[in-house]
Amino acid sequence: MRRHSAWIVLLLIWSLAPMLWQLLTSFTTSAALVDGSIPFLQRWTLNHYRELLSSNPPFWRYLANSSMLAAMSTVLTTLLAIPAAYALTKIPKQWRQPVRFVVIAAALFPYVLLFLALLELARQFHLGNSLLALALPYSALQMPLALLLLTAAIEGLPVDLDDAARLEGLSLRQRLRWVMLPLIAPATASTAILVFLFAWNEYPIALTWLSRSDLLTLPVAMARIAGSSIYSVPYGAYAAATVLGAIPLLVLVLLFQRQIVRGLTNGAIKG
Amino acid sequence: MTLELRSINKRFGDRDVLRNLDLSVADGECVALLGPSGCGKSTALRLIAGLDDPDQGSISINGENVVAIPAERRRVGMVFQSYALFPHLNVRKNLELGLRIRGSRAAERDERISNILEVLQLQNQAEQLPSQLSGGQRQRVALARALLRDPLVYLLDEPMSNLDAQLREELRPELKRLMIGGSQPVVYVTHDQQEAMALADRIALMRNGRIEQIGTPQELYHRPETVVVAQFIGRPQMNLLKPQNGVMVGIRPEDIRLDQQGVSCRLLSREWHGASQMLLVESERGPLRIVCAGDQTISEQIQVNWERSDEHQFDLDSGRRLSD
Ligand SMILES: Nc1ncnc2c1ncn2[C@@H]1O[C@H](COP(=O)(O)OP(=O)(O)O)[C@@H](O)[C@H]1O
Ligand SMILES: [Mg+2]
Repeated sequence: MRRHSAWIVLLLIWSLAPMLWQLLTSFTTSAALVDGSIPFLQRWTLNHYRELLSSNPPFWRYLANSSMLAAMSTVLTTLLAIPAAYALTKIPKQWRQPVRFVVIAAALFPYVLLFLALLELARQFHLGNSLLALALPYSALQMPLALLLLTAAIEGLPVDLDDAARLEGLSLRQRLRWVMLPLIAPATASTAILVFLFAWNEYPIALTWLSRSDLLTLPVAMARIAGSSIYSVPYGAYAAATVLGAIPLLVLVLLFQRQIVRGLTNGAIKG
Repeated sequence: MTLELRSINKRFGDRDVLRNLDLSVADGECVALLGPSGCGKSTALRLIAGLDDPDQGSISINGENVVAIPAERRRVGMVFQSYALFPHLNVRKNLELGLRIRGSRAAERDERISNILEVLQLQNQAEQLPSQLSGGQRQRVALARALLRDPLVYLLDEPMSNLDAQLREELRPELKRLMIGGSQPVVYVTHDQQEAMALADRIALMRNGRIEQIGTPQELYHRPETVVVAQFIGRPQMNLLKPQNGVMVGIRPEDIRLDQQGVSCRLLSREWHGASQMLLVESERGPLRIVCAGDQTISEQIQVNWERSDEHQFDLDSGRRLSD
């Protein structure tokens, strides 16, 4: 037991220390960041946050953009992936393996290699500078992963459940609504979080599809802050942006932590 | 109400699972589909329920061909081997879901559910999840759900195979009271011959997707048409003597009696069951199983005999009964 706790503490330090460092940096004056001799009480400031929020456009604009984009991608992905995953578990047995192979291949494909092709598409169909349009490639890119997770969840449900619901008179849609959805809720929650995270972090496609500064997403805006001056790196402002950018995710994870843990560990729903 | 299957064929891939299956179940009759696992019993039920479609043949309920009617609207009450209760809903909601979807009103639903819970002694479990119930309770919830379906046909797929022997015996009369003997035909799938004999009006013994013989339990017991039927019905299994002149003779263990003038045998082993005992002996006509009274004293060397009229004769090649 003692040995276990020691490991846990070590792991926590390992993963939390960089974040704490960022948090401290974001409250430290620019001068104190490069000069260790400044006395402790004079090192602290809220200026980085003030700067961020008063710049043009203000930083919360990027937060809002990213939240909206990530939310739209998540909703679109789950709306399409749940019926698709259900269908994938119903196709004839001899088709399932090949289809799964293709889906896994698509999930493992490094999407960065696609960004030029996607840019070409954006040009062709005038999809640039629109958050709504950007949700399309995002959910397309996350679809294979979502399909894998949700198919596994549906296949993990007790056999005969769907048939029993049919005999009870439930139509396809009613079965999805009253039987399938509640039972795969944990898997859906963890899938949704992964899609949300992807959309929140995605850089190359957002960089190329968006150019209007009031539409930028968080990663692109942060890169702009980091590269705003050739002569110095604005560590403080950057750290403050990181902290602000992490808050929505933290809230989300705290809200859904039960479902996420259940979805990741799975197997808790066998009747 | 009646159920009729006519020349049903079903393949999965290149496997013939059901071949030319004919079955008719009369008003209120209970027919047991009995057979070893993998012989196509569940497949037959799924076809009747509409969960799978037959490749050929017709299925009629009350004279109306139902092959084109989807499972959702076919009105069959099925009890699955796994019970297939909805794990996220408590007992009451498990029963309520179907009623609500089928448009029954709230007051009526409540009344019917509390009635059925009372009949099945599940009042105290109404708010529990299936995972909190015992095997027997889950089974009763599954029965209740099928009863509330107001079905035209009852289909039961090995409904008691997940229960222990004692519980099975306790539930049999209950099952009989609730489902069997109403006006609905009942198809009862089992691989347990004892259960089939206890519950069914007629037994259809299946093998390799075919019905080997169909008849009342008495017919199957007294006049098995093939060796397979003879071996499947009756416990302990029928003895098959060493074939002579292309004829195989079978004799039931309970038809053999001790007789000073009979064939002499050597005792190999002995199982005592209380009221009866089972002996395994070696005779000149091969090993024999014998059932006799539990209080009989048995020595190492015994003589046994049986009536010629109790012998069942089968053709050695085809395994078919030779008429006597
Ligand atoms: N959906 C299916 N796909 C392929 N083969 C199946 C399917 N369902 C059943 N089978 C095969 O059909 C045969 C009969 O199955 P089943 O009707 O379940 O037997 P039983 O209920 O008598 O044990 C088995 O060999 C099984 O492997
Ligand atoms: Mg079966």
